[in-house]
Amino acid sequence: MISFQDLEVRYGPTVALKGLNLTMQDGIVGLLGPNGSGKSTLLKTLLGLVRPFRGNGTVMGIPLDDASSFKLRSSIGYMPEYDALIEDVSAYEQVAFWGELSGLNLEQARDRSHEVLYFVGLDEARYRNVSGYSTGMRQRVKLAQAIVHSPKLVFLDEPTNGLDPFGRRKMLELVLKIRGELGTNVILASHLLEDVERVSDQLVILDKGELKAYGLITELRHALSKRFELRFLEPLTSDQEERLAEIGNLLESLNGLYDIELKEADASIPFKWAESAGAVLVQITPRHDRLDEILIRAIRGSVA
Amino acid sequence: MPIYTPKLPPIPNLAQRKPPILSLARFDLMRILRQKLGRFFGAVFVGILLIQLTVLYTKYLIATNSQLDQVKGLADHFLPKSADFQASLLHPSMLWFLWFQVALIGGGLISRDTLYRIRPLIFAHPVRPLEYLASKTLIAFGVPFCIQLPFIIVPWLLSMLVAGPNGPVWLITPLYLIPAAILNSMLMASITLGASSLAGTPKAGMGWVIGLLLGPSILGGILTNIFNEVSWMALSPIGLTQVWPRILCGATKMSFPLWPTIIATAANILLWLYIAKRRTMPSEAVI
Repeated sequence: MISFQDLEVRYGPTVALKGLNLTMQDGIVGLLGPNGSGKSTLLKTLLGLVRPFRGNGTVMGIPLDDASSFKLRSSIGYMPEYDALIEDVSAYEQVAFWGELSGLNLEQARDRSHEVLYFVGLDEARYRNVSGYSTGMRQRVKLAQAIVHSPKLVFLDEPTNGLDPFGRRKMLELVLKIRGELGTNVILASHLLEDVERVSDQLVILDKGELKAYGLITELRHALSKRFELRFLEPLTSDQEERLAEIGNLLESLNGLYDIELKEADASIPFKWAESAGAVLVQITPRHDRLDEILIRAIRGSVA
Repeated sequence: MPIYTPKLPPIPNLAQRKPPILSLARFDLMRILRQKLGRFFGAVFVGILLIQLTVLYTKYLIATNSQLDQVKGLADHFLPKSADFQASLLHPSMLWFLWFQVALIGGGLISRDTLYRIRPLIFAHPVRPLEYLASKTLIAFGVPFCIQLPFIIVPWLLSMLVAGPNGPVWLITPLYLIPAAILNSMLMASITLGASSLAGTPKAGMGWVIGLLLGPSILGGILTNIFNEVSWMALSPIGLTQVWPRILCGATKMSFPLWPTIIATAANILLWLYIAKRRTMPSEAVI
């Protein structure tokens, strides 16, 4: 779907993306990273709005250069994070307008506007001016404009921003529908890890312009399969804490909870150790199912 | 449940697509029509046009009807003659209202996109920055030009119908006034686009346009008084639009000479279009 080689983007002296090498597979890719990590710059580069300082790449087989960026943009849909809606115009008219700009003729764009607004669940509300819409409806209009021309790839920047739990759920269902029914590839940039976890099959983690992790979410979770949280009946003595090094690396201890990375992914090891060390292990919790752990560890540099 | 089954439309063929300039301009025109300015300005412009036609027909009657010889002297005193009359078809009062309308419409052309933050989204589509600016220019130029055109064509047609080539309006008057209307429209388009690109909201855009009209006009007046040189009045964009029809028709009484008019018009067009271009680059449209 997307591939870069040594992609570097600069804003004057500031290096925004530092020599990214990456090949993303078809599917839904979650793009994670703290503020200033380079997510928006990556999206701008993929849209052809920012020229790479060095390196090259392809998006849906189209090279990332000036000559091709124009063609590229008709194959891509983009749902921005902010409210990029024309308030004094109905949803139907503005989605048709975006369709026209993407290359559909007026008739196709109008037909398609009806279809995608139904698809995102706006039904009769599509004839009303956007200024009277709720946040959830506005997000759905933005999604509709991104898919009106049936792009091969769609960038969704914080699609669940400002939505209540019900709206979030509906939006994520739509993201899955876009992939499932329309066959469109999706890049989902979000700060909400649960959203990314729920719909994505791949994950890209950026920090300070560097690629910290990329892979299938299941694979990245596997990298954390040695991580457990232990609770003992009595807090461990300092001797016992030192002896924990025999079975793994103690990452954190707080209020009687011990966060440990075992040398082997075997949950029976802590029980055996507790027996030999004279401690009573009352609770053991695997930590490998938490995406925030993947993110934090990737940013710290301990996930490849 | 959706009535329509989601399906893929034909893949856009860029070779067959309508130029984005036209799509953008059509959409802007639709938004302008919704501003409902047409009723007021329509009444004003039709009123001015009717007055022009009445003057024209009165001139015709006085010239051809011997019974009206008694009022001929009085009419000559009040009604402009020959070249001045031709130039007055683009009457200063009409141009003043036109500037006001252009400020109301043009002030929001770019600033509305800035307010709603849709410019980055436009550039995320296959639209080049110059195409975006060209579409705005098309509207900002097209609206005043289309409004000026009836003030040239309708009196000319009436004159040709009632009196033929010897009527009050010269046969070749449109050849003088249409270029004047083009120059006026270019000036109006460039100033409104430049002002609109500097503003963050349509209201601020209108404010900018009015400021750019009144500010230089006042400055021109002050400098004219200080240096006792009338050429400074060329700083006034309103003055420029009023002078161009007179220059091109060869009228006798001029507010200021030809060269300051040419220089000031060119400077305004280049400066404000350059500002509008700079302010609508993708780098200004941060995602």
